[in-house]
Amino acid sequence: MKKLTIFLLAALVMLAGCSTPSGSDTPGDATATPSASAATIHVYTRDATSGTREAFEKAGDFAEQLTSSAIEVSSNGDMATKVGADANGIGYVSLSTDFAANGVKPLNFEGVEPSEATVLDGSYGMQRPFMFTTRAAGDYESTEKEELIAAFLDFMQNSTEGMLVVEKAGGVVDKTKGTAWAELAAKHPIVNQDNSSISIATSGSTSVEKTLKAALEAFQPMAGNFQFTMNQTGSGDGYKRVLGSEKDGANRADIGFASRAFKSGDEDTSAAMASGQYCIDAVVTIVNQANTSVSDLTQQQVHDIFTGTTTSWEEVK
Amino acid sequence: MKTNLIRRKLSDGFLQFLTLFSSLLAVGVLTALFYYIFANGLSLMNTDLLRNDYWSVSKIVAFDETVNQPGLYPRPQDLDESVAWSEKWGIGFVDYLSHEKKQLVLIETVAADSPLQSAFDTSAGAAQGKPVALSAGLQVEKIDFSQAAGTADFTGMLASATAAEVAQTLDQQAVKLTSIFIKTPGGGIRGSIITTAYLILVSLLIALPIGIASAVYLSEMAKKNRINMLIRTGIETLTGVPSIVYGLMGVSVLFPITALMGAKTTNILLGALTMAIILLPTIIRSTEEALLVVPKGLRDASLSLGASQTQTIFKITLPCAMPGILSGILLSIGRVVGESAALIYTMGTFINDKPGLLKQGTSLAVHIWSVMSGEQPNFELACAISIMILIFVLILNIAVKFLTRRLQKSWH
Repeated sequence: MKKLTIFLLAALVMLAGCSTPSGSDTPGDATATPSASAATIHVYTRDATSGTREAFEKAGDFAEQLTSSAIEVSSNGDMATKVGADANGIGYVSLSTDFAANGVKPLNFEGVEPSEATVLDGSYGMQRPFMFTTRAAGDYESTEKEELIAAFLDFMQNSTEGMLVVEKAGGVVDKTKGTAWAELAAKHPIVNQDNSSISIATSGSTSVEKTLKAALEAFQPMAGNFQFTMNQTGSGDGYKRVLGSEKDGANRADIGFASRAFKSGDEDTSAAMASGQYCIDAVVTIVNQANTSVSDLTQQQVHDIFTGTTTSWEEVK
Repeated sequence: MKTNLIRRKLSDGFLQFLTLFSSLLAVGVLTALFYYIFANGLSLMNTDLLRNDYWSVSKIVAFDETVNQPGLYPRPQDLDESVAWSEKWGIGFVDYLSHEKKQLVLIETVAADSPLQSAFDTSAGAAQGKPVALSAGLQVEKIDFSQAAGTADFTGMLASATAAEVAQTLDQQAVKLTSIFIKTPGGGIRGSIITTAYLILVSLLIALPIGIASAVYLSEMAKKNRINMLIRTGIETLTGVPSIVYGLMGVSVLFPITALMGAKTTNILLGALTMAIILLPTIIRSTEEALLVVPKGLRDASLSLGASQTQTIFKITLPCAMPGILSGILLSIGRVVGESAALIYTMGTFINDKPGLLKQGTSLAVHIWSVMSGEQPNFELACAISIMILIFVLILNIAVKFLTRRLQKSWH
């Protein structure tokens, strides 16, 4: 009898313990409705591996200082949905997000409205370039591979088709500068032959993964079905594995990417066959559509809100 | 006297409660974990996930000039309402939300007499000019077409169009189709399953003979002197070394060996070699323990019948120790399936659909790492792969239990 009582007691405690973890699977839902303290800011953030978060923290200059009360969401879409459902929420998404459909309002940064035009002319500050660099000219397994890489970069950087694909994958490009691929292809006879035995290896930033994958997949059928391997591990490896210390090691790659400018001095890309910028990634601060207390934030305000110094919308006004 | 008794009963009860509570807590946590994995992953578990490649195959198809013009193809009677049908080109599209939460436009069906049936591959290579079937499930990335005025335009997923918009644009504007950029569905884990199999086979093939032989030496032949004790302690220490350290060693020390065989990048063979080294201590330990429990009487009987020591070891002791060795193998396979840190260094993080020993690839565990580390972590897919791993380990467990029982019957 006693054993049974103990068992039941323990089972009860267990049940109580069990229900908490399953309930906390969706931390955002609890705060989805405006709470009693209507003026308190709810800060939303992306998970630590996110490139958008990295870019945003850099732009707001608060790396490693994020407020501990921030609610973590798992993706760009998730962020837009959650802030759209929280009248006091503030978060950040990439510029390609559909703001109206999610019920969120994009905020100006330092008085500049986020748009393709302001990102391209550089006046909108919350942006970072997606850069690439290749191995040195002549430092490839075959001349075919070298020509194919040159063709691919030309496609991704300069052709209207390539720009369209990159743009659809979330990058900001200046499509007015694009040339039809049919015209550019004339310079690259390599694309008219069977390249299925050639494999292009890429390395570097994980943030470029979506745009790069889209561009590679679109270029494949245009250039004789070449193969590719993407090993995206971080911007630091972009230079290192094509021109730096690991260029002949086990992790050698043909094209390296960085979601920031290559550091002058440490990462000298002058030896590369080609290097440059193929698109821009822009981050936008968003609040709920119903939020009328704010439409513009300075870097200092972003810093204060996301570090938890500013906690109410009253202070932002 | 009585208070003493009560006190003892109280403390007994408390201790009993503690043990019960702990075991229930363990069971509860495990159940919650399983529940989470199955609740999230089960919706994705289907044969497509297991069979499909991870990477899409892209194709650009063009059409036979002689039939490349709009006609009138009535909507099939039995077609579902959700399908957007293009009357002039005889093709139906559907909207689809992929498990990566991407809005896709897929081909549903093409009329038998539609000009689109004349599609052929335009990519340079062996398949150039060969007909391509526009089958159901292909993603419509971009449809290039000419308008009546001779100008070119396009529609499809790259124009952010829905299925209905694609069909409408085709009907209203297209007078000639220049090309269609299609993609096969991707996101499958076939390549990672094959890579995992490679990894298990090759690493066991290397680690088993070496491990068993050294265990036989250490427990049956070696004299109990200081050097042998040192070797044994060394092996025991190796069991506790974090696998990432082995990964570093693999890429720096073992890579030149695979480079001699023609590898240019990190590769599956390198991963398997590294895993073999990680497994060695486990296999040696479990074999040694299995050999220890073989009764001394069996060895003595064999020796007294005139068998040599080698004969005794290989014909009597080792077969008797088989169940123990098998459970060692099971543990080893479990480690290979679960390993990720060492493999990221030695095999890369590129999900390879056509894995080969000297190519890069990902095991199922690294595949999980890969889908979770991107800009959009995919919890559902990660859980689906976890289910695969759990099922695999379960089958292995049952198989080894069964084998062990069979072997025990025949040798005792």
